[in-house]
Amino acid sequence: MLQLPFEYFAKETASNLWRNRVMALAAVLTVAVSLSLVGSSLLLRQAVNRQIGEFGANVSLEVFMNPGAPRQQIAEVRSMIEQTPQITHFTYLGPLQSYEQAKRLLASSPAAVSTLSPAVVPTVFRCQLATPQDATALVATFSNGVPGVYRATSPLQSIHVLEQVANVLQVILIAIALLLLISSLVLILNAIRMAIFARRREVSVMKLVGATNWFIRVPFMLEGLVQGLLGAAVAVVIVLLANVGVGYLVRHYHVSVLSSSVLPAHDVLMTELLVVAVGVIVGVVGSSVAVRRFLEV
Amino acid sequence: MIRFENVSKSYDGGSAALEDMSLEILKGEFVFLVGASGSGKTTFLKLILREEVPDQGQIYVAGREIGRLAPSRVPYLRRNLGCIFQDFRLLPNKTVAENVAFALQVIGRPRSVIHSQVSQVLELVGLGQKGARMPDELSGGEQQRVAIARAFVNRPLVLLADEPTGNLDPATSQGIMRLLDRINRTGTTVLMATHDVGIVDTMRRRVIELDNGTLVRDQARGVYGFDATTSTRGVPAITLGVARDGEPPTGRLAAVRARRGTR
Repeated sequence: MLQLPFEYFAKETASNLWRNRVMALAAVLTVAVSLSLVGSSLLLRQAVNRQIGEFGANVSLEVFMNPGAPRQQIAEVRSMIEQTPQITHFTYLGPLQSYEQAKRLLASSPAAVSTLSPAVVPTVFRCQLATPQDATALVATFSNGVPGVYRATSPLQSIHVLEQVANVLQVILIAIALLLLISSLVLILNAIRMAIFARRREVSVMKLVGATNWFIRVPFMLEGLVQGLLGAAVAVVIVLLANVGVGYLVRHYHVSVLSSSVLPAHDVLMTELLVVAVGVIVGVVGSSVAVRRFLEV
Repeated sequence: MIRFENVSKSYDGGSAALEDMSLEILKGEFVFLVGASGSGKTTFLKLILREEVPDQGQIYVAGREIGRLAPSRVPYLRRNLGCIFQDFRLLPNKTVAENVAFALQVIGRPRSVIHSQVSQVLELVGLGQKGARMPDELSGGEQQRVAIARAFVNRPLVLLADEPTGNLDPATSQGIMRLLDRINRTGTTVLMATHDVGIVDTMRRRVIELDNGTLVRDQARGVYGFDATTSTRGVPAITLGVARDGEPPTGRLAAVRARRGTR
């Protein structure tokens, strides 16, 4: 018996949006910008995590010996490493292996390679740590006056910095995104309120002839939903382009450090779905509040 | 069809808009609701529409007590009530036919039904040829006919009219009254609040007069003017019964009529 007049709802929603197009555009764009920030900050977080995972999985602590350090010193450092419980595993690269390694790393500049010889390249202990958090402490332990040690470094230290920068960046992005989400909520609310005001005659006639409350509400709710969805759609495109852009940079300029910042399709898809979901929520919440407060049914 | 039992209603802080009102309007009656501005006529209509809820007492419309009606059921009550107003309340951006169709559209009637009902009711109100016009191209009387068509297109049990001739000249008003009379003869109960002395006096239908929120007169073929000899003040309204066409008036009213020779 009760068939929902979808055509009627679609027409009403479209005409509301068109009548109020400037407000609608403002709401849509704010949603779009805010959701782009949400999306890109989520992708940034995932990229940083992947990058850290990649570094962390390899070497966690490198102890470089002075070139030509006596065997005695090397043996002492070896036993010191063996007695450090935080180090789960290590390998020692002798002069020849270190030289090969250095040649590979500097392959792009033959001039630099020509100055190297096994005698001047530091030998190195590559250690793996049980927990990356120990890296800083161990770097200090091995740098401070252990005889024969040239220096100790941990990529985890720079990762730590990277991580903190990413954290701060993400907090800032999320904060801006939240502010923008709130303003887009208000903009949608206001757009719906204006639509309700523009339709007050229709609404009063509808109430008079016995239209149900939901029938009266639906076009306004749909209007908010459409604004949220349109904003989300723009954001989805922006986030997608950002990811493609990073991929292009990596491939074109061989920025291999960032290679793991190019996220697999699955992660991007999840982020985009989240962006759409937030857009829908903002639209529906904004219009629900407007309908409840300003549509007296 | 409509029964008020000891209904009282007052607005925030103000004096009573209606006080202990009891009366019954039967199916098919044509009733004029008269009284000065502020006497409670509009409150009376709003209570029937359940735009307002009584403070005390019960109101029955088509056998249902509407004071306790859940808000979600109110729209279904209103589908049984047609409504017209002094200011027509048409939608200016819709054609005549669209205005009428709107009333059916928003209660979810299928398009085929809407199409046939709209042209039928426009014929009934004498606007069969003007369905494609916009409201502002029509005269006041024609606009009120559109409003009547919209109120009647869903065949309501009751037609409520709040000063429907208030903006119209006497000749046009007469046309509107003939139309309301015709709708009444299809079995629709008509309740009309009015200040129009001429109409009430010529139609000679049941007149309910309110004064300061109380029922001061309920008369089966009444006139507009308030006359002390016809007053029912002090008589419990419920004992007046309901006088219908063709039935001898009862009780004190009958005595009053006999004395005045009113018919």
